[in-house]
Amino acid sequence: MSYLLTSLSKKHEVDSIIRDTIDKVLVLRFGRASDSVCLQLDQILSKAARDVSKFATVALVDVDSEDVQVYVKYFDISLIPSTVFFFNAHHMKMDSGTADHTKWIGTFHRKQDFIDVVEAIFRGAMKGKLIVNCPLPPERIPKYQLLYKDV
Amino acid sequence: MPLGEQSESIGNRITNPKVTSKTSTNSKENENTNKNKKKKNEFEFCKVCKLNHNQGLRHKYFPNHIKSLSNFLSRFRNKLTDVRFFLINPKFLSPHLASQNRFWCVFCDVDIVELHSSFACADGIRHLASAEHVKNLKHFFWKNGGSVDQLDTFMVSDDDVAKWEKKCAALQNEAASGSGGCHGAVIGSSSDIHNQPNNGNIDSFENVYSHSVNSYPSSNSVLPLQFYTNENQISGLSGVHNAGQLGYNTSVVPFEASCSGETSFALQDFAVDKKSHFSTNKGVLDNGRMLSRESSHHGLQMLTQISSVSAENAGGNVHSGAPPPWFEATEGVQIHSIPVLGGVASHSNVSGKSKKLNPKRVGAAWAERRKIELEREKRGEAVRNECDPTWLPNFGRVWQSGTRRESRREFEKEKRKLFNVETQSETPPVKIQPYVSKRMRMEGGGDLANG
Repeated sequence: MSYLLTSLSKKHEVDSIIRDTIDKVLVLRFGRASDSVCLQLDQILSKAARDVSKFATVALVDVDSEDVQVYVKYFDISLIPSTVFFFNAHHMKMDSGTADHTKWIGTFHRKQDFIDVVEAIFRGAMKGKLIVNCPLPPERIPKYQLLYKDV
Repeated sequence: MPLGEQSESIGNRITNPKVTSKTSTNSKENENTNKNKKKKNEFEFCKVCKLNHNQGLRHKYFPNHIKSLSNFLSRFRNKLTDVRFFLINPKFLSPHLASQNRFWCVFCDVDIVELHSSFACADGIRHLASAEHVKNLKHFFWKNGGSVDQLDTFMVSDDDVAKWEKKCAALQNEAASGSGGCHGAVIGSSSDIHNQPNNGNIDSFENVYSHSVNSYPSSNSVLPLQFYTNENQISGLSGVHNAGQLGYNTSVVPFEASCSGETSFALQDFAVDKKSHFSTNKGVLDNGRMLSRESSHHGLQMLTQISSVSAENAGGNVHSGAPPPWFEATEGVQIHSIPVLGGVASHSNVSGKSKKLNPKRVGAAWAERRKIELEREKRGEAVRNECDPTWLPNFGRVWQSGTRRESRREFEKEKRKLFNVETQSETPPVKIQPYVSKRMRMEGGGDLANG
């Protein structure tokens, strides 16, 4: 299913997609194609990609590729799949009640959840907000334990 | 006197109940009349105004509703202009455009997708002509109070459908009487990059297929298996509509790579002639009207030539540059509606999405600069400057205080530290020496001193 979405493995590819997506939300999934949770998320992303195509672009980044490790460190990605949202090359944060607002960790329960999240980000971005609230109820937000630096 | 007073009060009390009972009945009557006057309705949702109200059937007369109704209808009418165009000028529908031909019918609350049609908007036209749709349309107008003359713009009469079908048959005829490989040519000439890699294969397979089908008689006989009956293909078919053309084509490519020559023509049919396969199905399902298109392969159709209706030509057509007939029809409707609804046009301009993007949106300045850069590149003026390999997007890590830029600076610092650590580790390893304690040193020194 993920052959429908662009898959990126080089830093300059990631750079160019971030720089070239103008006035649309860019959804970057960091993960591995072999991980089961990633696959589930990819399935949802590919189904929803067309529905949100007017205001969002979806792309997958392979977290195992060496070129991309600088991004993995920059975004502090320790759990996969991690989804990072951008708008006009600015990073968008979402407060979903978890510890990490900078990215979405885990998969979505339904395709509509993903669409709602992207819509919330788009609406916030169009209003000039860099951080938005998550429209999903807490039971549909995946929980996880963040590993802190000093632990 | 107290007794007297008491008796009076008792008397009053005796009379009071009557009074109270009268008032209570009066109040009950009042309630009834009130209820009769104000029927407390349940809240319901108005699809047109997109709000909940408890005004019941009165809602359709309110001015706000009338305004939103005219907006709503004009928007849907615009969406139907495509369908109307294809009603007058039927064109072949190539599968990769099928996904663009869909629309949502607001009266029936159903999505009209072009699944089995070889002509553009065929399903849409049929839907608009169907009795179910007309029924829903009338119900909608009753509920929301539209004027009756607008009904015609949202449906297609049976006469129109008949005319359209004749034109489709004529078109098919022309296609058939043209070169045999015209379908291949149609695909080849399309500048769709998705189809280009398949072109060579398609043409060669097509000849194979046309020969094999040639040997078969008319539509009623059994035709060879035209597609794989496994789940891959079914998912591929559904994939066309859900995932767009890209999915469709990429699902075909692995098939082509893996299959052998004998089954390849059946596969090719799946790849190329999806539309004609579906037209076969339809030939079975529909009534005699579609019989002319029944024989599956377009190259072999035994169509009856219809005489071109002279009346249509006299009025001017697309080729002569005449205005389309529905323009005159809708102009009349629009002119009629504008004076009725006053400032609807200005209201709709204000309420519609403003073309100008919010200048306060995130990254607006960056977006403007980037757009200018891209335009320059398109025009070929500015050489594409190589992306700085150390460029990173504006990202804010998890942090407690400070701005985003600070978190970025932190990251840069860490990167430099990491780099330094790496360079340091390259220096020769420290020489390991045995530990000499102070006492030993002292004793050693003391011995010397003493000795």
